[in-house]
Amino acid sequence: MPAKDARRLLGKRSAARLNVLRGIFLRRLSGLIAAIVLTMIVFTAINSFFLTYVNLIGLVRSMSTFTIIAFGETLVLVSGELDLSVGATYGIAAMTFGLLWMHGTPFVLALAAGLGIGVLIGLINAWITTVVRVPSFITTLGMLSLVQGVTFLISNSQSINPPSKLPGFGVFEALGGLEFPFRIPIQIAWLAAVAAIIAFVLHRTLFGFRLAAIGGNPQAARVAALPIRRYKLWVFAIAGACAALAGILDFSFIGSTTPSAGANLTFPVFAAVIIGGASLSGGRGTVLGTLIGAFFLSLLSNGLSLLGVGAFAQLIFVGLVTIGAVALDRWTTTWGGETQSIQL
Amino acid sequence: MTSLQVRGVRKHYGETHALRGLNLDALAGEVLGIAGPNGAGKSTFVRILGGEETPDAGEILLDGVPFTLADRRGSVAIVHQEPQLFPNLTVTENLLLKRGSDGPMRPRATGRERQVLSELNLQRVADRPLESCSLVVWQLTEIARALLRDARLFLFDEPNSALADEESEQLFGHILRMREQTNRIVIIVSHRLRELVHYCDRVAVVREGECGAILAGPALTEEGLARELVVGQQPGTVETGKSGAPGAQRGDEVLLRLAGWTHRRRRFQDVEVELRPGDILTVMGVEGSGARELLQSIAGLEPAHGIREVAGRRDAQAIDAFLAYVPADRRTGLFPNFSIAANLTARLGVPAVASRWGRLLKSRLYALGRQLMGQFQIRARSPGQPVGTLSGGNQQKVAVGSASAKKPRLVVIEEPTRGVDLGTKAEIYHQLRQFAREGNAVLAFCTEVPEVFDLGQRVRVMSRGHLSDPFEVASAGSVQDLAGQLAKMTGAAPKASPG
Repeated sequence: MPAKDARRLLGKRSAARLNVLRGIFLRRLSGLIAAIVLTMIVFTAINSFFLTYVNLIGLVRSMSTFTIIAFGETLVLVSGELDLSVGATYGIAAMTFGLLWMHGTPFVLALAAGLGIGVLIGLINAWITTVVRVPSFITTLGMLSLVQGVTFLISNSQSINPPSKLPGFGVFEALGGLEFPFRIPIQIAWLAAVAAIIAFVLHRTLFGFRLAAIGGNPQAARVAALPIRRYKLWVFAIAGACAALAGILDFSFIGSTTPSAGANLTFPVFAAVIIGGASLSGGRGTVLGTLIGAFFLSLLSNGLSLLGVGAFAQLIFVGLVTIGAVALDRWTTTWGGETQSIQL
Repeated sequence: MTSLQVRGVRKHYGETHALRGLNLDALAGEVLGIAGPNGAGKSTFVRILGGEETPDAGEILLDGVPFTLADRRGSVAIVHQEPQLFPNLTVTENLLLKRGSDGPMRPRATGRERQVLSELNLQRVADRPLESCSLVVWQLTEIARALLRDARLFLFDEPNSALADEESEQLFGHILRMREQTNRIVIIVSHRLRELVHYCDRVAVVREGECGAILAGPALTEEGLARELVVGQQPGTVETGKSGAPGAQRGDEVLLRLAGWTHRRRRFQDVEVELRPGDILTVMGVEGSGARELLQSIAGLEPAHGIREVAGRRDAQAIDAFLAYVPADRRTGLFPNFSIAANLTARLGVPAVASRWGRLLKSRLYALGRQLMGQFQIRARSPGQPVGTLSGGNQQKVAVGSASAKKPRLVVIEEPTRGVDLGTKAEIYHQLRQFAREGNAVLAFCTEVPEVFDLGQRVRVMSRGHLSDPFEVASAGSVQDLAGQLAKMTGAAPKASPG
């Protein structure tokens, strides 16, 4: 191809790409970012500790594990399904890993088993959803209760607290508790790594492209003969693995885990994904959106704690903001007329 | 005796004139049929009569008195091909729903409802949830609801398109009985010429928003109707079916072979088809004839058994690789969350838009999208534009383009030009012919004769699940000739059920 043609093509291509970027980011995320900036200004004005390095680092650390789960959930939502069982998977992964390890299984094997059980739960969810054809909402709702029950059963309703003399304890502590220079906790590194991997998968691979197609119009995906079942199997497995990883990281950071760990995660995970612009009906969702959505949620919790409004008021406020954010999004997208956001 | 007069009714939507001064009379004691090609204004007329739309001009009189919108809403009963009822409720409960307020208690059937149920032979199923009943029960329930509110005008909109023969006879039996009442007007809108001829006293042919002709008595024959339906419809292109796909060498390779191909629920039986490079075969058939299911089954979207060979192979991979299917409804063919370029390339994979390791190459995706946009003359500002912002015709071009992007050997397409304008029709026909000319084959399902005339070299008619012998389009001198021939072929097809 002559150089001139190539340049012309490239020019047009980047123009087209810019168009898409404009569609997604400006329309959907600019409002969210504006809300974040506004919230930060308000919190800083009230409490000067808010805008300090220590507080912000702590804020990002505290959001890292639920955001890792939210990334997996973003993939599930893009494929047009739901996974409500991620909280329970988080709990059982930590418990399985801890129990095996404390009962003499080598550290690495126990760790693999913890992650493996997350993948296994994901595969079972996917199988029931795609082969038995039970809607994923019901499948994973049932799985949530089932897995929680199993966690209580295997742990005998007891929390576990691995003693420091166990082989591999140093690595265990480091997994979620290590601190890098500039007081950056390792959890932020995990967050960044998972974000990068999922973002690559969703936005830069054929897999992500087809996944958005499958979620966007399942009938058309069938007509186009896309591998719907196989892709959904992968997606649920990744979501399970993300939840398991998050559970193990928090287990390591806290140093113990309880049978009910993860029970409160469903709200922040879904709120982050939905505030971030993913569509519950499938086909839309970005990793950056989920990340910003999670940051916004964390910011509110953190700021409200600093203000000392109390846990109950916090719950009420965060609930209102979640509904408000999506309502605002609906309003701006319908108001925007023909310029709907597109995935690619 | 009750009479309905429609005088000079006009209706336009933007640039499109759906009705251009329609005149029509209907009398109680007769069954009036309405026939017309797609887009002739039939459904607009149905909506206006049903009080869902107001005409721009003209008047509708019932017994010489203006028949107002509010009156029409109350006393016109439209029985749709898919009745608008409550599937979770029983037949009786469906009848009780619109009865106004009888107080806070759950309504119960009174003598009136029981009488109507027995008139329509529905007592047997009266307490069964509608969803467990056959379609004819749905339609009879819809009729029962209309009878209960003393409807004056009964409008059947393609009522039997999804009914089996016996059910259809049962339904028409009830329709004919309604004719005996002197205060009711019965109108049937249908594509099925046979039933129009068989059950109607007069049939009005609606063409381009006007009443083109009224056939009655000895003039009312299937062939006559078919000819009237295509009057004034010029072929969309200069290249008509007569010229076929010039320059095409009909190869020896068999691209599609069906033998003993039978639908699991017997929508079609023992279908034999053979397509070679350069072939364009159109299958014509009314709704419910099994033609649609035939095409979907070839693409693997409907269950069927028998022999299906695509490019000589029977495995699923061959079908994925060599066959591309385009559905009739753009909503089932396009991805609304994607741009034009992404839609055009959605069926592609490694290596067209992704590296060996599955990395998506967006530059190639957009370049390819741009190229296909040019090839299929899709008019848009940029390939990154959401596909939903395109006009219907351009969306259809995207659907056809995305199917041909994966370079199949066989395109199976349902109603290639549904809801698109004339110019776009010509472009789509040109693309399909070009595709065949390059050594591939096209199998299209059409519902309109002019489309068959424009597109096909050969046409076969699907009637009651049986496919007729092929007819060379070139041997018909005009669209009217072809229409007449096809009507005869429909009549000649054997019946599905013996006797």
